[in-house]
Amino acid sequence: MDELSCETVFTIPVLGEIKESVVVTWVIMAVIVGLCIIFVRNLRVENPGKFQLVLESAIGWAQNFFEDVMGKENKRYIPYLITVLIYIGISNIIGLFGFKPPTKDINVTAGMAIMSMCLIEYSGIQKNGLKHWVKHFARPVPVVAPIMVLEIVIRPLSLCMRLFGNVLGAFVIMELLKAVVPILVPIPFSFYFDIFDGFLQAYVFVFLTALFMNEEQE
Amino acid sequence: MIQFNASLLYTIINLVVFYLLLKKFLFKPVMGIMEKREKMIADGLQNASDTQDEAEKLKAEYEAALTGAREESIQIVDKARVDAKAEYDRILSEADEKAGTMMETAKRTIEAERQQTMNALQSEIAGLAMQAARKIVDEKTENQGNKGIYDQFLEGVGEAHGNTDTD
Repeated sequence: MDELSCETVFTIPVLGEIKESVVVTWVIMAVIVGLCIIFVRNLRVENPGKFQLVLESAIGWAQNFFEDVMGKENKRYIPYLITVLIYIGISNIIGLFGFKPPTKDINVTAGMAIMSMCLIEYSGIQKNGLKHWVKHFARPVPVVAPIMVLEIVIRPLSLCMRLFGNVLGAFVIMELLKAVVPILVPIPFSFYFDIFDGFLQAYVFVFLTALFMNEEQE
Repeated sequence: MIQFNASLLYTIINLVVFYLLLKKFLFKPVMGIMEKREKMIADGLQNASDTQDEAEKLKAEYEAALTGAREESIQIVDKARVDAKAEYDRILSEADEKAGTMMETAKRTIEAERQQTMNALQSEIAGLAMQAARKIVDEKTENQGNKGIYDQFLEGVGEAHGNTDTD
């Protein structure tokens, strides 16, 4: 049962307890930024190296994907969405390396959902103005206004809970399986729960965020 | 297990920091490079089409120049032909004229020569006639004394001899 809890790693006097999920996030950030610094150093316009080609095609794919969802005019939100995609993707499969996934902590998924909520509402206000944003709650008929207002909270809540539930469920199943049959059997399950489900949830999270942003801008 | 605490705030801060770091170290350089490459390709294509346009323009210019040159050469040849014809005519007429003059001169010379010969012949004939007449006269006067006539004759011949000698 103590596998499920998020332990306090250390305590900083002013800031309070630093939880495990935050520390793992720091590790992920450090590794990813380090890799970026190493591989992004020698970029060339002509004759790109192998790593550069992989990097460019990956980022090009993500860019195309988000442009398809949101359109070219929302290009500036793409780097943030790719950041979230990378972070959730790595977080979800980091169980393979012996860490507890940070996304198993509801505080992390809630934090990201709040960020998504801010981004969704901001993109809507920025695109059509505050007046239009206020008015759009009363559309198509004023009766739906309470539901539309609730939607502001519901959308990030669903994002948060979906991610949290999926990762926690996968984590619990994997821990139980490892406890019952420690050898060989967990491997195929690990492929599904850790890798496939992990990436799928990362994809769903950013895809839905982009979709909601697009919706909000109409 | 499910409790909200400071981690939520840290997560948001982490995410923002992570976003800024990735933007600086990953997105800006990679997207910059990709844009640069796209721009380079677009520039290359633009350049190629520009060069082609220029080449076509030059080609049209050259073709026009070539056509002009051909026309000019035809004109030159025509002009030369006309000039040559005129020159030919001129020379021919000149030669004609000259030949005519020469003929005229020759005719005149021949005429003059003929006249001269005629005159000479006439005087000769007159001389011969005179001689003949003299002979006849002499024969007539033979009876009057052969000796005198012989003397006369010999004198005449001697005179002629003397004349030829002096010539």
